[in-house]
Amino acid sequence: MSERTKVAESKRKRAGVGVMAGLVALLLLALVTRKPASDLLPLEQQTVETEKPQVCVHTLLENEVEEESILRSLELARELGATTIVQFFPWAYVERERGHYDWTLADRIVRHAEMQGLRIIARLGLVPDWARDGKTETLNYLTEDLFPAFADYAAAFAKHYAGVVDHLIIWNEPNLSFEWGYQPVDPARYVRLLQASYARIKGANPQAMVLAGALAPTLEPRGSAAGLSDLDFLQAMYDLGAREYFDALAIHSYGFREPPEAEPARDRLNFRRSELLREIMLTNDDGHKPVYITESGWNDHPRWTQAVRPSQRSAYTLRAFEYAEQNWDWLENLCLWVLRFPADVYSYPDNSTLVSADFVEKPIYFALQDYARGWAQSERPWLPPPKAKA
Amino acid sequence: MKRYQRLLRSLTVTLPLVLLVAAVIRHYQPPDPAVAFPGGEIVIGVDGSFPPFASDDGGKLRGLDIDLGMALALEINLPARFVSISYNGLYDSLISGQVDLLISALRIEPARRDDVRYSRTYYDNGLVLASESGAVLDAEALAGQRVAYEYASSADSQIRAWERAGTQIEKLPYELPVHALDALRYGQADGALTDATAFRLYARAQGAWRPEAAYVTQDPYVIAVRRDRVGAWKLVESALSTLKDSGELARILDEWL
Repeated sequence: MSERTKVAESKRKRAGVGVMAGLVALLLLALVTRKPASDLLPLEQQTVETEKPQVCVHTLLENEVEEESILRSLELARELGATTIVQFFPWAYVERERGHYDWTLADRIVRHAEMQGLRIIARLGLVPDWARDGKTETLNYLTEDLFPAFADYAAAFAKHYAGVVDHLIIWNEPNLSFEWGYQPVDPARYVRLLQASYARIKGANPQAMVLAGALAPTLEPRGSAAGLSDLDFLQAMYDLGAREYFDALAIHSYGFREPPEAEPARDRLNFRRSELLREIMLTNDDGHKPVYITESGWNDHPRWTQAVRPSQRSAYTLRAFEYAEQNWDWLENLCLWVLRFPADVYSYPDNSTLVSADFVEKPIYFALQDYARGWAQSERPWLPPPKAKA
Repeated sequence: MKRYQRLLRSLTVTLPLVLLVAAVIRHYQPPDPAVAFPGGEIVIGVDGSFPPFASDDGGKLRGLDIDLGMALALEINLPARFVSISYNGLYDSLISGQVDLLISALRIEPARRDDVRYSRTYYDNGLVLASESGAVLDAEALAGQRVAYEYASSADSQIRAWERAGTQIEKLPYELPVHALDALRYGQADGALTDATAFRLYARAQGAWRPEAAYVTQDPYVIAVRRDRVGAWKLVESALSTLKDSGELARILDEWL
């Protein structure tokens, strides 16, 4: 090898080392300056601007992949003028391994909601694999021997979020067989779940408010394989001593095809069915407890037999808020199902949303925003039917 | 020995070629209806509560989807039998094999593509912008125009999207699509934005009134076949194509819409 070749080889080696060192430095720089997930948080604490503090929306953020989607959804809830969201915190997502709680996803949602100035009503449910013991594929199946395990989760949640999330709904629609993994509906079993959870939650966070019920509006008679009337289920809960095990009642109150002012009746499903549930509370000397309507609204899908026209959906929704404000002093929040789905399902559930999956606000969103924020609203949202000129 | 080697070499070349040609012929050959529909009939699932596509007229199903199913079956040369199923149960009946096809004003559901094959579009229920004949109004010429639509509907969303894009429109919201179309017919609006079905039904009811209409969005209606029933799907596609080319599909649409 000549001297010139040696020098050239040496230069190449030095250049190679230099390039490598540069790459390593760039990598280190990238690692050091990489934006952590929390950098997505707004720099300033936001405040909800609203004139209607009852306004609340149910969000579905637990299955969001992108943190930006969580943030944008919660921004939309705040910009709407909602003070409160109902959000599902699945047990199955937090306690994948028994006794090991992973709050990563839940923390992300709670942190963003806090920064947007939104109060959270947390809905707890969905059974982890280990608690279903391979007995069934359905994710709501829970046997009574594992009620203490659910209570452990509820208590851990209450403790972890004490002072931040103080409203906890125990289970969802326990008057439907589906919501028990297709086990027969049994009010006594739900009361035992409440009993198992209540003291544990209060022990973990004395300020926590335990919400019971969240019953599905249904006319199913006793003995039905599908479920049991929400009215019968609630009375049965009281008969079984549930009164001691909850602080507030959660109600699901959908309007279906009737306007919000339609009279309630035991054999009809409409928005004012809440009044019948409230009467049962009063009958059982439980009228001092507040009520939260944690699911409500109308649907405007053209194929669903229980749907209304889009114009009706929008008008009924606003009138429901007005009716509740004027007539229901026992109501804390009226929460609409649902702000947005992470993805379209291409069927009628899509027509319950206020915002499309790709974050486009629907006209009903703007109508509700006008109402909640006290912005100008026309007396009539639409023109009278046109008449032919004589 | 050399003879065998030559034979082997020629087989190596010709056999894959023969197999390839056979596969191509097989691919383009129409499937045997008796194999594709082994029951000897085409069982069609339909939601009978969605007129004018299908409605239950005293136990007898009638509508656009019924006539389309009959025409397809005629083309495939098998009898059709209709099964009335609630909207919620349509796909379950298809997946479980209770029916061979779904013809029920269905839209494509991407999440179902693992289980279902969809046909080409047989009807588009997208939004149409209607305007008086001779005064054609399209999305390019909306600025300053009076446009009637149903409040809070997808037409309302579309108009808001145009506004966000910078087009100022004089908005005329009505409670129902028929009111929006009334406004156009009475000369109180320059255009009416409704779904194609609302427009066609309205225009049909008015007799001599013949407005213009241009599609603004697409909302395709398709036929669904179980994914593993490739032969059935191919026959449906082929029959639908023939019905389109022959004008029979247009005749059925005009009959009901």
